[in-house]
Amino acid sequence: MNRLGALAVAAAAVFTVVLPLFLKPYGIYLSSTWVVLSIAAMGLNLTLGYAGQVSLAQGAFVGIGAYTTALLMHAGVPYPIAFVAAGLVCFVVGWVLGYPALRVQHHYLAFVTLAFTTLVFLVLRNEEWLTGGTYGLSGIPRPTLFGWSTTGAVSFYYFSLGILTVLTAGTWWMLRSPWGRAFLALRENPTRALSLGLDTRRYTLMAFAIGSSLGGLSGAVFAPLVQYIEPLSFTLNLSLNLLLMVIVGGSGFFFGPFVGALVAVLLPEWLRFIQGYYLVVYAVMVMVMMAFSPTGILGLVERFVKAVSVRHDPPEPVLQAKRTSP
Amino acid sequence: MTAVLEVANLRKSFGGITAVDGVSFDVHDGEILGIIGPNGSGKSTLFNCVLGQLTPTEGEVRVDGKPTTGMRPCDINRLGVSRTFQLLQVFPQLSVRDNLILAGQEHQGSMYSRLLGPADAGLNSAAGQMIEFFRLTHLAHEQAGMLSYGQQKLLDAAMAFMAGPRLVLLDEPAGGVNLTMLGHLRERLQAYHAERKATFVVIEHQMEFVMALCTRVLVLAEGRLIAEGSPQEIRRNPAVIEAYLGH
Repeated sequence: MNRLGALAVAAAAVFTVVLPLFLKPYGIYLSSTWVVLSIAAMGLNLTLGYAGQVSLAQGAFVGIGAYTTALLMHAGVPYPIAFVAAGLVCFVVGWVLGYPALRVQHHYLAFVTLAFTTLVFLVLRNEEWLTGGTYGLSGIPRPTLFGWSTTGAVSFYYFSLGILTVLTAGTWWMLRSPWGRAFLALRENPTRALSLGLDTRRYTLMAFAIGSSLGGLSGAVFAPLVQYIEPLSFTLNLSLNLLLMVIVGGSGFFFGPFVGALVAVLLPEWLRFIQGYYLVVYAVMVMVMMAFSPTGILGLVERFVKAVSVRHDPPEPVLQAKRTSP
Repeated sequence: MTAVLEVANLRKSFGGITAVDGVSFDVHDGEILGIIGPNGSGKSTLFNCVLGQLTPTEGEVRVDGKPTTGMRPCDINRLGVSRTFQLLQVFPQLSVRDNLILAGQEHQGSMYSRLLGPADAGLNSAAGQMIEFFRLTHLAHEQAGMLSYGQQKLLDAAMAFMAGPRLVLLDEPAGGVNLTMLGHLRERLQAYHAERKATFVVIEHQMEFVMALCTRVLVLAEGRLIAEGSPQEIRRNPAVIEAYLGH
C-alpha cells in the first residue's frame, strides 16, 4: 500500500470510530449492518477476488454462522465459543463445498454454489425442530464480555467494529504472506502455478474454506445484532447482494468489499425518496459503472491516481516497451 | 553418466490418434538435450506426459530413478523438475519480483509454515539475484503483464530456474522472440548451464538455436523417435531432412 492509500485507510478508521457521535440509533444500526456485510464480503473477495473461484454461496454461510451462533447461545454456550464455532462449522462446510471447484470452474461453479444456497435455505426452512422453520429464532442475546454489555446500539457497534478490525488484520496478514501470492496465482494461471509446485487443490479448498469461514463469522455478528433470524434473510438474494458488493467495490482490491458494502447499505437509504424504484436506479448505476470500470470503485480510483501520477512523473522509456507479436 | 530422466516406451493416445508412440530416451546429468520435429510430431505432448500435465496411455517416466508416471505436476516439480511453456505463462498482475518469489516459495518449508513465515518466503535476495542474472533489474517492480513479449520469455525462463531445479524442460523458449532477445536468451541459458551444471531438455523449431545450445538432439515425427545424435549428425540425417522437407 502506498502512502496515499495508508492515509485513506487511517482516515476511514478514525471516521468509523467517531461515527456514532453523529448518528441516531437507526444510523448506528446501519453502521453495524455495514460491519456485518463487510466481513461477509471480505470473505467472498478472498474466494472470488483473490483466488478466482466464483461463489454464490456466501449468503448461505452467513446463515449457517447466524444459526450456529443462535442455537449455541440458546443452549447456554458463551458467545465467544459460539462465535468460534460458527467460523469452524463454515470452514469445514466451505472446505467440502470447495471440492466441486476442483472439477468445475466459472459459471458451472456458480451453479453448484447456487444449488448449495438453495439447499441451505430449504434446511433452515424445513427442519423446524432445529431451526424454528419459517418462524425463525428469536431472543438472541447480545453478549457481555468481561463485564462490558453490548446491549446498547453504540456498544454493539464498537463490539462489531472490534471484530471487523481483528478479522481485517488477520486477512491482510494472510494475503501479505506467501498464501496471498498463491491465491493470486490460482486466479491468474492455475496451470503455471501447478507447474511451479503449488498444490492448487489444497489452496483452492483453503480459499473456499477461509472465505466461507468469514461468511460464518459475519453471521455470528449478525445474529446478536438483529436478535431475530429467519431463513428468508439468507436466500440467494443475500448471496447475490454480497457478490454485487465485491464487484462494485472492486474485486481483488483488499478494501473493495468495504466500499461495496457501504454502497449497498447507504444507497437504499439515499434513494428512499423514490420508494420502490430504488432497485431500478441501483441496477442502472451498477450497469453504468461496470461498463466504465469493470474493476469497481477502487479500480476507478486506482486509474485516476495512476493517471495523475503519470502526468506528474512520466515513466522511463523502457517501461513503455511495446509487445512484440509472437 | 547417470540418467536424470528416463522415458521408457511412452505412448499417448487421444481417441484414435496416437500423439506419442513408444518413445524411449534418457537425459544425462548436465547435458542439454534438444528435441525437434515438425508441427504435430508430439513434442509438447511428450513434455506434458513427462511433467504430469497428461497421463500417458502406456510407458514409464523416472526422475533420478524414481517413477513419476501419474504424479501431479506440483509433486514432480518438487522433485526438482521445472519447465517453461510454449505459450507465455507468467502471472501478469504480479511484479517481476513477485513472479520469481512465487516460482520458488513452494520449495520453502511446508504450506502452514509459509503462512507464519515472512511475506517474501525468505526469497527476496534469491529473486534479486535471478533478476540480475537475467538482466531484468530495471523491470523488477513492473507488472509482468507490462513487459514486452521477449522480456516475458526471459522472465518465464528465470521462473523455471528459481527453485534451483535439477532438470529444466524448455518448451519452445525461442518462439516469437526477436533475434536480439533470442541471442540474449541463449547466452543466459548457456551461462546458467555453465555456472550451475543444470540439465536441460529443449523443444525448439529454431534450428540455429538448437544447434548452438544442445549437445545431443532427438528428432520426433508422427509421434515416433526417428533419429538421435549430435547436432551435426542430425543436420545430415536423411530421415530428418525427409521429415522436415518431405519428398
